[in-house]
Amino acid sequence: MNNVIIRTENLSKVYDTGFRTVALQDVDLQIPTGSLSCIMGPSGHGKSTLLHLIGGLDRPTSGKVFLEDVELTSVSANRLAEIRSRKMGFVFQFFNLLPVLTALENVQVAMMLAGISKKEQEDRATELLNLVGLEDKLQSKPNQLSGGQRQRVAIARALANDPDILLMDEPSGNLDSRSEGELLEHIRKVNEQGKTIVIVTHSETVAAMAQKTFFIRDGALAVD
Amino acid sequence: MNHFKLTWKNIVRRKSRFFFTLSAIAVGIASLVTLLSLGTGLETEIRKQANVLGAHLVVTPRGWCAYEQISVLTGETLPEAIPNEDMEKIAGIKGLTAIPYLVQRTALENQPVPLIGILPAKMKQFKNWKIGLGRYLLDEANVVIGFGIAKQFKMKLGDAISVRGQDFSISGILEEVGNRDDLAIYMDLSIAQKIYGVGDNVSFISVQVDDINQIDKYILEIQNVANVAVVSDKQLLKSVLAIVGTVGSALQMVAAVAILAAFFGIVNTMMTAIYERRREIGILQAVGAKKRTIFCLFLYESAIYGLLGGIVGVVVGFIFSYFAAPYIGQNEFTAFLGSEQSVQIFSVGITMKALLFSILVSALAGVYPARQACKLSPVEAISYE
Repeated sequence: MNNVIIRTENLSKVYDTGFRTVALQDVDLQIPTGSLSCIMGPSGHGKSTLLHLIGGLDRPTSGKVFLEDVELTSVSANRLAEIRSRKMGFVFQFFNLLPVLTALENVQVAMMLAGISKKEQEDRATELLNLVGLEDKLQSKPNQLSGGQRQRVAIARALANDPDILLMDEPSGNLDSRSEGELLEHIRKVNEQGKTIVIVTHSETVAAMAQKTFFIRDGALAVD
Repeated sequence: MNHFKLTWKNIVRRKSRFFFTLSAIAVGIASLVTLLSLGTGLETEIRKQANVLGAHLVVTPRGWCAYEQISVLTGETLPEAIPNEDMEKIAGIKGLTAIPYLVQRTALENQPVPLIGILPAKMKQFKNWKIGLGRYLLDEANVVIGFGIAKQFKMKLGDAISVRGQDFSISGILEEVGNRDDLAIYMDLSIAQKIYGVGDNVSFISVQVDDINQIDKYILEIQNVANVAVVSDKQLLKSVLAIVGTVGSALQMVAAVAILAAFFGIVNTMMTAIYERRREIGILQAVGAKKRTIFCLFLYESAIYGLLGGIVGVVVGFIFSYFAAPYIGQNEFTAFLGSEQSVQIFSVGITMKALLFSILVSALAGVYPARQACKLSPVEAISYE
């Protein structure tokens, strides 16, 4: 299983808030190391839930998630936070940048939480923002950036601690087609550097780029 | 980027809320500092006045209440109840010096002024007074006044003072001694007794003993020869400080209420901040913040409110106590202290205490909100619209 970085076994998530909603049921999937994979499906059918469980942002009702040999579903909240910090990077549809911080500081925060020194934070954050073409926006706050620029800051932040995996939830969902094109170019470059990328998307353009696509319907998985 | 920079950016993002929350804690701490500052000044001054008395023992009539005991230090009018006969018996005990006081009041320019009947020679020697101007002459026609009285009422040698219709001339003005001895008119004891019609009674007797180690023996001896109460200077000081302390505690309760209000103000501010920043808490968790980190970030935030509010409060408190002191000085009880002397303009002790207290209270106020913040699940927080 050396070429698989993420693996799930009978992964299920049930919400019980007055009435029972099955968000995900017995999902088994394997994500190859270094691949660019897509998770597609209709809205509300469990795509984001699956991504959150894979990324250790949420706990399943039953089943297991493995990151390489580590069973994420059995580790403590603190250990999970460490794994998120060092092994994973997240990019969300709504960018999710901290509004009081500049682009540079938003990237630095991820490194600060990993205990990286201030000097190193600054150097690496500048390098990453240069990489995504934002060298002239280092001191801009999120509200001074366009949607595409914000998403590129989010990608730089996701790469801050040099993670093995990038998990993206509708990264182009809020972007125009030109910004989407630029974003995909950055994603492709990152993938070529050997990072594993998992993208939840509705976009056929994004899906066309993927080496592997998973379809989720009614919480269950169908492989393309 | 570090935790404090992140905390600071979050604190100042809503400037008006920051200002009002800071003001609440600053007002609480300022009131505490004002009361501590005035209280400490008062205590210092009382100790100083007790030293001025220069007595090891104070002989008072039996059954005096605490207020009357305090009046020995403050110079208020006192009942005159120790007869000369007792005075002589006490003075006759070997190894002690007895100094009688008849404490009355007269008026200068319609303002009350203490008038003290004394045995001139004995008192001068006892207090080691020096004459600043004129002569030290106290008789049927002359009195001596303290430096402060001369200054306050612009009096000179030879000026007339009328006491109960009888005119006296100022024969001398004492050198400044820097305590309440500066603030009285001194008259020969027998003349004062006659003018005030108190027979041969005095208000109290201060006693200095030769051997301080045998103080208990002297107390017993005095009580054997006369029907009086005897209190040591230490006991007297203790009972005065106890009363001042009680008043101080009551005032500090007022400050505590102000600080309690600030405490809830901080809780409210922090809860609102957490509600507003749920999504950001989720983002931080997603990028690797542990629950402990989230808890600390919010705790730092409330502690910073405490530190800044404390600094502002300490400064305002000392300024306020400086300006409030003259008004407090007009109070009957504290008038004797003199306005400038009763204030601690700056005290490292009070500053440290107030700052620590402010930080502690504010950090405590942040505990519950911080716990709520770190309980949020990352998904729940990120999904929050």
